[in-house]
Amino acid sequence: MKVAVLIKQVPDTTAKVGIISGSVDEGAISKWSISPYDEYALESALSLQSGSGATVVAITLGPERSSKSLIDAAAVGADELLHVVHDGALGSLSLQKALSEAVTRVGAEVVLVGKQAADTNSGSTGPGVAKILNYSCVGLVSRIEAGSDGFEATRSTPSGIERVSVKLPCVFAFDKGDVELRRPNVRGIMMAKKKPIERITLADLGVDSTGEGVSTTSVDYPPEKPEGQRFEGPDSAAEVATKLREEANVI
Amino acid sequence: MGPFELRTLKGLDLSGCTDIMGYEALDFYDVDSLLTDEELMIRDAVRGWVDESVIPKIENACREGVFLDEWRQEIGSMGILGAPLKGYGCPGLSYTAYGVICRELERGDSGIRSFASVQGSLAMYPIWDFGSEDQKEKYLPRMATGELIGCFGLTEPDYGSNPGDMVTKATEDGDSFILNGAKMWITNGTIADLAIVWAKLDGVIRGFIVEKGDPGFSAPEMKGKHSLKASVTSELVFQDCRIPKDRILPGVKGLRGPFSCLNNARFGISWGAIGSAQACYDSARSYALSRIQFDHPIAAYQLVQNKLAWMLREITKGQLLAYHLGKKKDAGEWIPEHISLAKMNNVDIALEIARVSRDIHGANGILDEYPVMRHMANLESVKTYEGTHDIHNLILGRHITGIQAFTKGA
Ligand SMILES: Cc1cc2nc3c(=O)[nH]c(=O)nc-3n(C[C@H](O)[C@H](O)[C@H](O)COP(=O)(O)OP(=O)(O)OC[C@H]3O[C@@H](n4cnc5c(N)ncnc54)[C@H](O)[C@@H]3O)c2cc1C
Repeated sequence: MKVAVLIKQVPDTTAKVGIISGSVDEGAISKWSISPYDEYALESALSLQSGSGATVVAITLGPERSSKSLIDAAAVGADELLHVVHDGALGSLSLQKALSEAVTRVGAEVVLVGKQAADTNSGSTGPGVAKILNYSCVGLVSRIEAGSDGFEATRSTPSGIERVSVKLPCVFAFDKGDVELRRPNVRGIMMAKKKPIERITLADLGVDSTGEGVSTTSVDYPPEKPEGQRFEGPDSAAEVATKLREEANVI
Repeated sequence: MGPFELRTLKGLDLSGCTDIMGYEALDFYDVDSLLTDEELMIRDAVRGWVDESVIPKIENACREGVFLDEWRQEIGSMGILGAPLKGYGCPGLSYTAYGVICRELERGDSGIRSFASVQGSLAMYPIWDFGSEDQKEKYLPRMATGELIGCFGLTEPDYGSNPGDMVTKATEDGDSFILNGAKMWITNGTIADLAIVWAKLDGVIRGFIVEKGDPGFSAPEMKGKHSLKASVTSELVFQDCRIPKDRILPGVKGLRGPFSCLNNARFGISWGAIGSAQACYDSARSYALSRIQFDHPIAAYQLVQNKLAWMLREITKGQLLAYHLGKKKDAGEWIPEHISLAKMNNVDIALEIARVSRDIHGANGILDEYPVMRHMANLESVKTYEGTHDIHNLILGRHITGIQAFTKGA
């Protein structure tokens, strides 16, 4: 069984993101990482690899620098690496077409992806790829297990846990799960360096990005956060508790 | 009770973020951009491990005076032990990579770095360089995974800076050696499965491998340390301790044996101390920006900025020193005096940075909520072990003048 994991390289959650003339200033981003939800997708793929001998193919689409994400995936155990090299903006439909073609090219019947990317947060890649490929799609997945006839997937949210059984071919869009992400060890890092990365372009996949329906007009900073509110003394405890519950939704 | 602030987290999805307020490693001159891709990946892996598994647990471990066994297992499975050694299941990395590993570990705690230094440079290295083929095969693969722990017994109660006068003795007795004497201040001693013990055989210093459980050998833990509390420090006691003949390290005689081990460990310390300094700087910087006195953040005052600028200056110099020494070590173009300079300088500035950082934190600086006092106390040990600060001055003094000043009237 071949499992494709779609990995996006995004600014690290610790990196400061700035805007320059209406778009994100990529040159100023100090660190790029695998999008956190994609890491959970990758972790699940790797447990299918150790559990049922699946071959894990990591696929990324992005500029040269994004091959680092594939090397990181190889360091924790991804078997094959495919880089669709593309520099500059790409609309979501073209992106989904390209990734679908890439999945077909590697012959994967199971596709694992993060529920959304940590930079754009649009959440369209998993469902979009599923639609183009005509695969079933399950979102907000926290865990999957291979069954006799497909997969058992767990969707777990604060309001309840749902288990679904899914037949191949399928796409799973991962939420942050309770599984622990594996860390690369030195052996993995040394082997990752030797692993070949197959590099292809949109043209190789027969994808034409010119007829895109959606394009970004501009990017702006969020509005200033409102002033903090100050409370003093034990008498304010009840009011603070109410605000934490009703405004901040944290308790 | 102080004022309490409530900020609504409107429109911010933080669920995918792991550690927004994470440690920012100071690298003013982008020295790390000189590292190879592999070295950077190893750095990130170790740094991530320290964030997740050391920082949240270290204060408690120090309070209880323990080195957690899970640290041994996890460090072992990262595959970083004996980093620069090749073959026998060892990682075979560059010395620079070893330095980076020490720096990242010591950013967490000097005790964690000490564990790795002793295991790799002081216990695995002598077996790797001076051991027989059988000894290498027997111990090294299991030491590389952390399954077996080693320690290094050189210092004695009465012989610290001058180990050459040690009194621990080995005598031959049929198929065995008999060891008598005592070692003190031995890192990992009580938890070690094997000890590399330096003792005199017919007046000549030789290395011996003593295993836990060998008759006449015990390793009681030393208690009451104010420094390096998350590291085990022990005595090694040999009372007619009998070991088989094949436990002598065949490849070396004299002080060259222990000193070659120390060269490697000292190299790692020159990097490691920078990790402690970076942790103290990081804490001082963020504290200075958030602590308001006389209506302004204390970071707005020239005296505080002067302290931060001085830290930045010394850390940057120390990083360049460590990096360049790493390159020299990798190229095989180094002399022990190069290592003495870097160990002495980087530990010295790290300790001073820890003290200044503690000062910037005011009273908070003495609490274990901040890492600075722990680093400061740790660095007092680091300044003393692996050749005290002044012993390194004497090594350099001898190099400069050609006159040794260790002993009087020689
Ligand atoms: C936490 C910890 C862990 C350790 N782990 C180990 C270990 O794993 N294995 C091991 O073998 N040892 C270990 N040591 C021991 C360490 O290496 C020694 O403490 C060190 O070599 C100094 O020896 P000493 O403490 O006897 O000090 P001394 O040698 O007595 O020195 C005391 C002072 O005198 C100064 N001094 C000494 N000689 C001269 C001189 N000729 N001229 C001028 N000044 C001089 C020194 O610089 C120092 O300031 C450890 C020590 C500590 C604190």
